[in-house]
Amino acid sequence: MSDVLRRIEIPIALTIIATLLQVIPYYFEIPALESTANTASNAVLIIVACATFVGVISILQVHGKRIQRQTEGWYYSLLVIGFTVIMSVTGLPIPEIGLSVNNTVYNWLFTNVQTPLGSTMYSILAFFITSAAFRAFRARNLESSIVLVAGTIMVMGNAPLITNYLPFIADIALWIRSYPNMATMRGVMIGAALGSIALAVRTLMGIERGYLRGGGEE
Amino acid sequence: MVDIAVWTAVFFTLGIYSILYRENPWYRIAESVYLGVAVGYAVGQDLKYIRDQWGGQWSSSGGMMLAFFIVMVIGVLWYARFNKNLFYLYRWPLAIVVGTGIGMALKTVIFSQFLDQIISQANTPFFVAGDLVQTINNILVQIMVPSVLLYFWFTGEIRDSPPMKVVERIARYTMMAGFGSAYGYTVLTRYSLFIGRSQFLLGIPPNPADARMAFYVIAFIMLASMIGYDLFMKKETPEE
Amino acid sequence: MSLLEKINKLDRRYIYLLAWIFVLFPLLNPLGLPIPISQDARTWYNYVENEIHDGDVVLFTPMYGVSGMPELFPMTVATMKHLLTKDVTLIVVSFWTEGPLVFNILLTQVDPADYGYVYGEDWIRLGYVPGSETAMGSFGASIHNTVTADYVERRPLSSFPMMDDIQTGEDIDVIVSFETGTPGTPEWMRQFQAPFGTNQITGCIGVSVSGMIPYVNSGQLKALMPGLTVSAEYEILLDKPGLAVAGVDAVSTSHLYVTLLVILGNIAYFMTREED
Repeated sequence: MSDVLRRIEIPIALTIIATLLQVIPYYFEIPALESTANTASNAVLIIVACATFVGVISILQVHGKRIQRQTEGWYYSLLVIGFTVIMSVTGLPIPEIGLSVNNTVYNWLFTNVQTPLGSTMYSILAFFITSAAFRAFRARNLESSIVLVAGTIMVMGNAPLITNYLPFIADIALWIRSYPNMATMRGVMIGAALGSIALAVRTLMGIERGYLRGGGEE
Repeated sequence: MVDIAVWTAVFFTLGIYSILYRENPWYRIAESVYLGVAVGYAVGQDLKYIRDQWGGQWSSSGGMMLAFFIVMVIGVLWYARFNKNLFYLYRWPLAIVVGTGIGMALKTVIFSQFLDQIISQANTPFFVAGDLVQTINNILVQIMVPSVLLYFWFTGEIRDSPPMKVVERIARYTMMAGFGSAYGYTVLTRYSLFIGRSQFLLGIPPNPADARMAFYVIAFIMLASMIGYDLFMKKETPEE
Repeated sequence: MSLLEKINKLDRRYIYLLAWIFVLFPLLNPLGLPIPISQDARTWYNYVENEIHDGDVVLFTPMYGVSGMPELFPMTVATMKHLLTKDVTLIVVSFWTEGPLVFNILLTQVDPADYGYVYGEDWIRLGYVPGSETAMGSFGASIHNTVTADYVERRPLSSFPMMDDIQTGEDIDVIVSFETGTPGTPEWMRQFQAPFGTNQITGCIGVSVSGMIPYVNSGQLKALMPGLTVSAEYEILLDKPGLAVAGVDAVSTSHLYVTLLVILGNIAYFMTREED
């Protein structure tokens, strides 16, 4: 029985059924199928939400091992696990005992810890991009010169200080955005759309199995 | 009176920025806390959604309750990934989620990202009466978009043919200008984020005014500790 | 080592330090630099002013978390203030985990009650719906099945008379989305614009702008707000200078700094290359 359940054909069949359940009602009016598809998509949202502890368990496994073996920097792992547990527990949907997304500790940690940390993590790239602009952005050949000139004009075009006194910079920046950039992104978008359709067809045919890899078996 | 909340936020902000000087314990502390809080945060939101869903259509009838139970069992199968013998069960919820996602995108991607774009391209007139600049721009678009498409579609030996060499050159120059444009906007985004954090650190309204004092004090402590440590280590290990 | 060689090999920490100075200085000493109004700001303003009518059902979606707040929060606040001057039906929902918390922060700046909006009659919050594009598709197919209760009072949607005629994506007139990535406009296009023909305007971070332009060009997106600078211009058009205007001086000086660095770096590169 276990051998039957292990067969790769089962998840492939599930993928095909789930895909067709969404696509067919869109093109053919079959009320029973449409209602089933709506319920199925709601069910999938619950299935996705159920995966919430996967990250927590992975964190506990990785950092737990570090603490156990007392590898270099193991004390930082104590912080990781500690805050994971605190946020997870205080956010549990049990308002009857004061735990929920409205819990004081949960909201305090979100507002005063996660908010500044999250914002700062992304903002630090400003420094790296500046350093890269100085050290690596070079007009070595025609193509890199085009990137350099277009990029620099775009940067200037986003600065009111420059566009106020040199309004033609704003016009050139708008032209670069509306024409070469638009052409590039339209080409990429159409190509990506065709690619995603091809990938979907391959998945429906059971040829594409990359998402099912792992576990040391096929 | 010291506002612990503000000083905590400033501490973690500067902890992350301390990496700009070099790798250091302040950064490691901030990074570790961020990882823990970010992972734990999503748990509350996701479980709340499940509980709310039970309060809706899923508890409306016996059949729906049974369906909810089956859905929850499938949801629990995610955790089979942590067991080597049961790993194959993890593929079942994954297959359902991936299949639904593919179906959702597949049904309308042909319209929104393909047909609508091609229609817009086809509707771009080559010639605009009385507007030479727009005419030139439209002709450029009619040359650039197909060039970029052909550049991606045709690879291999066919690229060596003379017409494709011209197409390839046009496509590369177009894409280089496009990437330059993307770079310019990336600079805007990153600096906007940095400016937002700076407004917080300086206590500029509507941010709390306490933040400025916290910024000065904590920045001094962090910089002094890192520079002091470096000077101390330099003395201990003189350069050869 | 010549000066140019020294510049070429400059320790990056000096670059970082100068970046701090170029940003902190105008924040501490506002320069009051002029802000020319771009076409993007005018298009956004005109769309909200003239194309969103009284009685329209507007789906207001902050699709970002704390990472996007500095760039998107000002435009979210300004647009909310603009929409509240009209007599629309506002539905607030998010498909990003932190969306509801971002909206909580917005409510500390803008109170719909000040504009005569009554919760549950003129506007409603539906919270966060996990599941990315699948959730958006499900939402469009059946709002009441996807979101069973409102976010504030925890009451079934069916208990709100304002939601009686708002069942599917067909009943939404305009989507006003503020986003930092996925899910975002491409997903809205697939799940709402294609099946229901819903109009949409999007405010996004600069990094996402390039990918939005084909949608603007094809008319699928009616208006685009690309980043902090245009947010500042919009605040000026509304005559409500706020967070974006406060920060735009620093945008100018920081961008000038990057431009000068690129020019200086290339000059040093070419001159040292010639010497070699």
